[in-house]
Amino acid sequence: MFEIKHTLCPSCSVGCGINVILDSEEIVGTFPYKRHPINEGKNCSNGRSSIDIFEEKLAFDSKVLDDAIGKLKSCSNEKVTVIFSGSCSNEDLEAIKSLCESKGFNILAYDNDLRNFDSVASYDEVENASTLFVIGNILYENPLIGRRIVRAKENGAKVFVNDDLENSPTANIADEFTSVSVKEFLDANDINEDSIIVFNKVDSFEDLDLIESAGSKILPVYSKSNSKGALSLVEAASKEDVLELLKNTDVLLVFNDDVVNDINFDFKSISQIIAFSPSKNDTTELASFVIPVKSWLEYDGSFTNAEGLTQEFKAAFESDNMSVVDVIEKINGELE
Amino acid sequence: MSYVLAKSKDSAIHEAGECGGAVTSIFKYLLDEGIVDGVIALRPGDDIYDGIPTLITDSEDLISTAGSYHCAPTMIGDIIQKYFIDKKVAFTVKPCDIRSVDELIKRHKIDPDNIYTIGLNCGGTVSPVTGRKMIELFYDVNPDDVVSEEIDKGQFIIELADGTEKGVKIHELEHEGFGRRTNCQRCDVKIPRKANIACGNWGSEDGWTFIEINDEKGQELISGAKSAGLIETKNPSEQAIEARLKVEGIMIKMAKKVQAAKFGDAGNMDAWNRCIGCYACRDICPICWCYKNCELNKSYFKDENNIPPSPIAFQGVRLSHMSFSCCDCGQCDDVCPMDIPVSLIFDKLQKKYCERTGYVAGVSDDIKPPLYSPEKTEL
Repeated sequence: MFEIKHTLCPSCSVGCGINVILDSEEIVGTFPYKRHPINEGKNCSNGRSSIDIFEEKLAFDSKVLDDAIGKLKSCSNEKVTVIFSGSCSNEDLEAIKSLCESKGFNILAYDNDLRNFDSVASYDEVENASTLFVIGNILYENPLIGRRIVRAKENGAKVFVNDDLENSPTANIADEFTSVSVKEFLDANDINEDSIIVFNKVDSFEDLDLIESAGSKILPVYSKSNSKGALSLVEAASKEDVLELLKNTDVLLVFNDDVVNDINFDFKSISQIIAFSPSKNDTTELASFVIPVKSWLEYDGSFTNAEGLTQEFKAAFESDNMSVVDVIEKINGELE
Repeated sequence: MSYVLAKSKDSAIHEAGECGGAVTSIFKYLLDEGIVDGVIALRPGDDIYDGIPTLITDSEDLISTAGSYHCAPTMIGDIIQKYFIDKKVAFTVKPCDIRSVDELIKRHKIDPDNIYTIGLNCGGTVSPVTGRKMIELFYDVNPDDVVSEEIDKGQFIIELADGTEKGVKIHELEHEGFGRRTNCQRCDVKIPRKANIACGNWGSEDGWTFIEINDEKGQELISGAKSAGLIETKNPSEQAIEARLKVEGIMIKMAKKVQAAKFGDAGNMDAWNRCIGCYACRDICPICWCYKNCELNKSYFKDENNIPPSPIAFQGVRLSHMSFSCCDCGQCDDVCPMDIPVSLIFDKLQKKYCERTGYVAGVSDDIKPPLYSPEKTEL
């Protein structure tokens, strides 16, 4: 039966809506969700191809989960690290945090050296800003926030861009373009309370304090759909702290993430990786145990986007896989 | 071609329909008689601004699709060719929908024997988020309190739950950057005459649908639904026919005026500088049916290190492949993350092609698509 259902895009933290097309309970395409207030039916190529995960689905084997839990039982808890990923829903993250706290596992929250900020600019504020300071190639990497910058520019805003790429859509709309360090960019410009800094990258964790103290509103744009949710529950680690913790890890639990692709570290040095994922990726390729879990299209949950808006999504179709919450419940029961 | 006024004999459908429920009752006839496997029509999702194409296989469910949704700019051609190619289906079509269907039939992507097309006259559509903002700003009404909307007599009219109506002149809304989508403002095809029948309220009496019967299949639909006791019909007066033609003429005149004012902007578009090469415009285009075989996917056109892509290499290829068949549906504008008014140049080129060859995409009676007819190869 042909059906079109609403869901959220899982590919970055903007929080766009997207429709999926089902034919006989199988995802066969996407369709613009024009009523969605954030993106009005516009999705980037990452968003439209987010359904490609179903081309690489994993098959569930209960023995693998039992073996993985057996490995956890035999390991010292302080040597277990859990990736607290922004690809998980808020409900998943609550369960993961609770598991880590009860068992004394290390918990690792990381998103490209960014952290949570309690107060951030809304997308509407970006669109209506008079001056914007943009760090990173936002138009290309987060186009549906990029669109707000374009609209601000059309409304008369002055746009300052700092990025590595001199020829990019973001650079092309800049009134002034620089390619310097974040610190130099902040020092060189007259940033005040009427301006907004929009950024999706920094040179180092320390830059975040500089950005926060610049006196303007800020909008950090994360790489994952629920990074804001994750980083508001668990303090973000710097890149250096991440590497240090990974060095001291014997068993790494990865829920719904591709940490091997995200972090430059020799993951082969970790003796066991247990990957819980709806589809194949670099992490599942390297993992000792791979347990399929439901994707965001197969359960109800919520993501909190970059501007702090929590949006619910509903399962688009039924699946036999376990959800992350189900898996954690089982692990908790077995480790009692 | 002939005209008839029709209305549903089912009181619930008559009440739910925008002008007499004839369209819903004709769908009921097609389903109940087993003539089609399904009907595809819009139903409201989140609210009336959220029209979702829905497959109906049980005529009891048709009532949920009754009424019109002017804030739901969907496109059916693409859906039919991708998901219903081997099924017998009936569906509603705006003029741009049937124009895309016609172009796809010419490309053997849709089998005309498998489809029944119920045309809906169209004065234009409004993007849903724009529509909601517009209602807050110009009508001083909470958009959630609106139960229906329509475009009539040059106004966008909303109806509230207590039956009160408020209207604002379309040109006033559009002057302020609201109102119909920009492609709709340019569109000069208002009655979908390639559909089996074309329905609407222009020239009709209250509670009746004015239907233009365009072909034999259309005549069979009316006769069949009438014989099944689902609709009643009567002949429209000469004045009604004239009134309808007058509405169409005024709308076409307005569209030509917008074309003249806007086509000049197509050659000078800085907006291409912000193109992120995401291919959303290509992927949504109902005429671009090549999918993974698209020329732009070939390695010699792939240049992911060069974003924005050269407009000549990207849109130039698309323009040369399909602009002569552009049906000005505006889907490319709708989905562009960078708000590039893509359709402007495609529509302009189609009109130029038409000036040289007389070919109107999805309207002219040619059997083959443009460029396959030797006399029409010149751009």
